Amino acid sequence: MAEVVFDQASRIYTPGAKPAVDKLDLTVTDGELVVLVGPSGSGKSTALRMLAGLEPIDAGSVRIDGRDVVNVPSKDRDIAMVFQNYALYPAKTVRDNMAFPLKMRGMDKAEQAKRVADAAELLGLTEYLDRKPKALSGGQRQRVAMGRAIVREPRVFLMDEPLSNLDAKMRVQTRSQIAQLQNRLAVSTVYVTHDQVEAMTMGDRVAVLRDGQLQQYATPSELYDRPVNAFVAGFIGSPAMNLLDLPRSGDGVLLGGVEIPLSREIRDAVGSAQTVTVGVRPEDVAVDSEGSGAGIKAVVDVVEELGSESYLYAHLIDSDGRDDEATTLVVRGPGRTTVRYGETIAVRVDAGAVHAFDPSSGLRVA
Amino acid sequence: MTTTLERPAAPPPASPNTTSSRSARTEGWVRRAPLLPALVFTIVVTQIPFLLTLWYSLQSWNLVRPGSQHFVWFQNYVAVFADSQFRTVALNTIVMTLGSVLIAVVLGLLLALLLDRHFIGRGVVRTLLVTPFLITPVAAALLWKTTLLDPTYGLINFVLGGQTFDWVSQFPLASVMAALVWQWTPFMMLLLLAGLQSMPGDQVEAARVDGAGAWSIFVELTLPHLRRFLELGIVLGAIYLVNTFDAVYMITQGGPGTASANLPFYIYQRAFLGFDIGQSAAMGVVVVILTIIVATFALRLVFRSFGAAGGES
Amino acid sequence: MAATIEDTATTTSTAARAEGPRRRSGIGPLLLTTLTWIVAVGFFFPVLWMVLTAFKTEAAAYTDPPTLVFTPTLEQFRAVFDAGIGPYLANSLFATVVSTLLVLVLATPAAFAVSLRPVEKTQDVLFFFISTKMLPVVAAIVPIYVVVNEIGALDNIWTLIVLYTAMNLPIAVWMMRSFFLEVPKELLEAASIDGASLGRTLREVVLPIISPGIFATALICVIFAWNEFFFAVNLTAANAGTVPVFLVGFISSEGLYWARLSAAATLAALPVVLAGWFAQNKLVQGLSFGAVK
Repeated sequence: MAEVVFDQASRIYTPGAKPAVDKLDLTVTDGELVVLVGPSGSGKSTALRMLAGLEPIDAGSVRIDGRDVVNVPSKDRDIAMVFQNYALYPAKTVRDNMAFPLKMRGMDKAEQAKRVADAAELLGLTEYLDRKPKALSGGQRQRVAMGRAIVREPRVFLMDEPLSNLDAKMRVQTRSQIAQLQNRLAVSTVYVTHDQVEAMTMGDRVAVLRDGQLQQYATPSELYDRPVNAFVAGFIGSPAMNLLDLPRSGDGVLLGGVEIPLSREIRDAVGSAQTVTVGVRPEDVAVDSEGSGAGIKAVVDVVEELGSESYLYAHLIDSDGRDDEATTLVVRGPGRTTVRYGETIAVRVDAGAVHAFDPSSGLRVA
Repeated sequence: MTTTLERPAAPPPASPNTTSSRSARTEGWVRRAPLLPALVFTIVVTQIPFLLTLWYSLQSWNLVRPGSQHFVWFQNYVAVFADSQFRTVALNTIVMTLGSVLIAVVLGLLLALLLDRHFIGRGVVRTLLVTPFLITPVAAALLWKTTLLDPTYGLINFVLGGQTFDWVSQFPLASVMAALVWQWTPFMMLLLLAGLQSMPGDQVEAARVDGAGAWSIFVELTLPHLRRFLELGIVLGAIYLVNTFDAVYMITQGGPGTASANLPFYIYQRAFLGFDIGQSAAMGVVVVILTIIVATFALRLVFRSFGAAGGES
Repeated sequence: MAATIEDTATTTSTAARAEGPRRRSGIGPLLLTTLTWIVAVGFFFPVLWMVLTAFKTEAAAYTDPPTLVFTPTLEQFRAVFDAGIGPYLANSLFATVVSTLLVLVLATPAAFAVSLRPVEKTQDVLFFFISTKMLPVVAAIVPIYVVVNEIGALDNIWTLIVLYTAMNLPIAVWMMRSFFLEVPKELLEAASIDGASLGRTLREVVLPIISPGIFATALICVIFAWNEFFFAVNLTAANAGTVPVFLVGFISSEGLYWARLSAAATLAALPVVLAGWFAQNKLVQGLSFGAVK
């Protein structure tokens, strides 16, 4: 039941070099699940470890419920953490692993036992309480790690890629379990992952980081619908958004000899610039099955059939009819597509769904 | 050294309290404290004698003549370099050390290759093979001198058809080396076996899929992979064997003459049979300097290729 | 857990993998196995012969050709004990156990300080330790003898204990460092978040993980201390002499009695052979200063 605030918090490994986390501003409201996501080296884990007290905060501050924790050791921050490799104590049983933080707090035995039993019940671990971690499966170990965090009843949960050691099926299953559990316990949670699907499905809000800097902090739908820059646009969503630098032409931009109209709003924002970075999600590009001849021509390089939908990876044919290998498009098609490799198709872009970014700064223009 | 060893050293685990320099200093001493007893003990017991050796080496001092101790600058060193026996012995040391190590490495490699397969009783075979290394060197030397190499009753002459050849007096250096090789081959075998088993299986599988035969796999993959283990075996074997004393003492007493004496034995003779403290100290210093030259080079090489020993798993 | 992993590691062989799933029906593997066995028995045979001879009478020991058929007797072992090996065994045991304990007491915190919570200049410290192993012992024996003589500590078991501790300390620090480095850092972080103090973390989290390593280190130290001869022969005599010293003395007095010598040699070698068989996997790690796992 806590609010976590990163206030211009920075971590500088070597003075003078680029900070690992650069003036991070982030507020996690009470009971919220916030996901920090970004490619490796983006500083997401470092930020989490700063909150955990495992990395010093070199500048700025981090507050938990208004209390500055810069000089507070981990154990006094009232947090619990789930590690990527679970960090279960190998010599202790599941029961002792879960009771360890309580024992360290000098809680009385009866209360320890009760809390461990409750958590074990909640996580379906009751029958494994007397086993050692090495006798458990990956999923069970993960749940023990969760259990060890839960029994503490901390103000904040910290999770550092807790699902990355599970297989794909287990990951999806555990993902929703964690989200449900967090919802039920209503404990503020900071969750780190490099997987944008995890971020989108689990987070109440998602913070996208890159090179130590916060790019955007918003709800998943906001991130998806209105990415603040080309990086976020390309990072969120799978397959990634098509991002193309296109020349202006009339009231729009020119793609494969076809003019795609831009909204008035975008046109005003772009002004007299000669090129615009245009972003279109694969689902906003459609195969023009009528083949009226007016569409953008493209040659299919790869067809991915996923059953419920399909993705076509294609390169364009320019207005002179030549292959333009450098300009590629991902197009979402129906689950049962008849399009095959090497085929030339005509595609249509949904002009209303176009995102526009400044080609040099990458920032959203409108 | 600096490049290879940096990984384990940096960065030190975080402490949130690095803001005040006083607590940082206290923290530094808290970190150092566990190291100090071992460090101080080692410095006192191992370094002070070497400093004394340096000091003694500049003196004329024979224990049999009390009061003979006086400062003579580098006379002892002049004597050492003029001593033709010292040169013989130095050469013996090199032959004995390198010869034994190289033979042991080759035999060890063959044994390791034999053991790097599945077969019945592999564990037992390994246990049998490792035993010579564990035998107290004095007992091992005794075993070689009597049971194996005795002219009349020795097993080796028996195996060779009942002749009565006196190995120890005909080939004294080789006799000592035989005992050393017998003791050190198991170590090389264990080391190289560990090397063979640390080889990633997928490499071998990939090579097989690529059409490589057993011999090409050995030459192209196994040997390059074993290289650092071979280097390590040679350097460590040399470090331990250059100090050989027991085998020489037991089997030949360095004889006949100085035919099988090595530096440790020769210095021992000078110090404890000749009671010439000054000269033996000077020899000790010469040996140390030679060792340092060889060792710093060799050890860095090896520990570089092993990522500072334990830095990798 | 570490032991289990090692066991599986030793059973997968690259050669076996190189052979692949192809079923080999030829006699090649059988020949290789036979050859391996012959070589192994050949290497071991001198030891076996020594043990057998120890159970022979002197007459049976001196047969030409040598014989494998004889009536075993404990006579020689009795003779060895009558000759007074007892106190020497006790000295060896005492020097070995006490120096090993001292090594562990000094090396464990030192290894911790150069691994999990590294001090500055860790690499220099580590190289200092290893460098002491490289300097030839013989270069130090003269001043050691002079100093020990000066302070009246010749033929004193504590002299050997101090020297053996110094001799094994560098190996122990390196070896234990490699064990400490295997402790996942996450575990320490988890413990610190869980609120455990450093002492508690070491006791409850780290110690259970590295205790097999501590045990292995101890075995290596035992082997070296028990087998040590150079210091023992130069600095001790009847009072504090160890088993190798006894053996050497025994040879000069009973040099012609092979069976008796074999009994003495067997007794001298037995403890370490057993310890070494036990710690086969750790031998290389100890000798290579932890460079090879």
